[in-house]
Amino acid sequence: MSLIFGTIDSMGRFVTRNLLYTYRVLIMVYLSMRATILDQAQGFRTIFSVISAQIYFTGWQALPLVTVMGLTTGSIILLQAMSNLTMLGGTQMIGSFLIVMLVREAGPLLVALVVIARSGTAVASEVGNMRANREIEALESMGINPLSFIVFPRVLGGVISVICLAFYFNFIALIGGFFATRLLHDMPFTFYSDSLMSAFGIEDLWIFLLKNAFSGMIIFIVSCYQGLLVKRSPHEVPQVTTQAVVNSIIFVILFNLTVTALFYLKQLMQLGVI
Amino acid sequence: MENLNHLPTIQSLRFEELYLSYENKDPILSNVDFQFPQGEVIWLKSSEGAGKSSLLQLLAGLTVPTMGKYLINEDDVSSMSFEEFLPYRLSIGYSFDYGGLISNRTLFDNLMLPLVYHKILDPESAKLRIHEVERRFDISKHMQERPAHVSGRIRKLICLIRAIITWPQVLLMDDPSVGIGLEAQQILFECIGDLRQKGRIKHVFISSYDEKFIKMFNPTIVHLEDGQLYLDNNELDNQVKKVVNI
Repeated sequence: MSLIFGTIDSMGRFVTRNLLYTYRVLIMVYLSMRATILDQAQGFRTIFSVISAQIYFTGWQALPLVTVMGLTTGSIILLQAMSNLTMLGGTQMIGSFLIVMLVREAGPLLVALVVIARSGTAVASEVGNMRANREIEALESMGINPLSFIVFPRVLGGVISVICLAFYFNFIALIGGFFATRLLHDMPFTFYSDSLMSAFGIEDLWIFLLKNAFSGMIIFIVSCYQGLLVKRSPHEVPQVTTQAVVNSIIFVILFNLTVTALFYLKQLMQLGVI
Repeated sequence: MENLNHLPTIQSLRFEELYLSYENKDPILSNVDFQFPQGEVIWLKSSEGAGKSSLLQLLAGLTVPTMGKYLINEDDVSSMSFEEFLPYRLSIGYSFDYGGLISNRTLFDNLMLPLVYHKILDPESAKLRIHEVERRFDISKHMQERPAHVSGRIRKLICLIRAIITWPQVLLMDDPSVGIGLEAQQILFECIGDLRQKGRIKHVFISSYDEKFIKMFNPTIVHLEDGQLYLDNNELDNQVKKVVNI
């Protein structure tokens, strides 16, 4: 009996802890938006350099890795799809299959993982070090709100970068993947491109934007939040960085899963299944 | 062109039934009613670890009291939002005992930031003011370096200069004399003296163990002990303390 209660207790603590964490992160989102709107001194020019630097580090510098990942993922999925769909006699479904697999599902998740590994860690450790070095306090003492000066531009730059990277990933995976595997199949490019174009719908665009924009937001907000948790000592920085990675992955996966589940629920409702 | 006209004149700093404590530690301030003397240089004195830095941070608005009121001009600032407190904050200069410089900016940009962010000065006037101070402290050759590339002495000096460069009404300095050398101590003393004489800096709070440095200012002593503040009205060497009842 005590084992059951113990399990319920620990589950309750786990859920409460995570709900509290989510609540605090959301409060930080609200406060940073509020601070940005209310900060009359901070013009766009002031934060432009931070936004552009974030886009450069998160977006531009990640291009080689995303290129390799896009090409390999696109090629693998394309080859698997072709061999299996041909056996099932559904080669004309190739476009729909790739759009679902790459644009809707694998693309947002893989790009998010790359961004977490490269930029989420960088932002968490940068903000953590700023905290340990008392730079955040120094900004406050000068009347500069760290939430509008540090957090907001990083989140905005991060969201723009993730959307651009995801677009690039999909392009490389769908088009580059086709040409990279050209020797292994004999599908005409016109057939392939027509199949992709006819499969691509407006809901794919919404899912693409929704998943990538929110993934970017989650990654950079969680990373900034974790960085700001550092109190005084630099030894806390690696700890909060690790936690930023773990929490970002969990939140991004849960968000992607929720969007996918809701979308397919909607499809089932439209088909009259439920 | 200076743009400080919209800032309120700070006339009084007062604690009312104020508590300040951190988790699992003895309280730093416990039910304190205290009016700080006005227009003077105040030497915050206490034993090691009693909470002088926390008291300075509280006065700067960087820490909120656990309970009670911190009143500036009889306005309770402890319950104010960041934006509401901003006019007071811009009237307060604070220098850290260590750290506090923005590491990805040059020393020059570190000094420019408080002047131009809130448009206290236009960029040209800000540059002139910085050049004047850097010449006075003889640190011009380091100004385009980042904090990590200069010695601790220069970092400390920049942190002190950043606190006074906006000509704040209230100046809070945490261990200002440590590691800057005797010559810079003298220049700092003269800078603060000049600004006080011009009526720019009105109230100065210094936490320090360096009696030789602090005696130059002929300060009023405020003791922090056992969670209470005591005003010492007597000479520096006379350690008789008097509880202040408001």
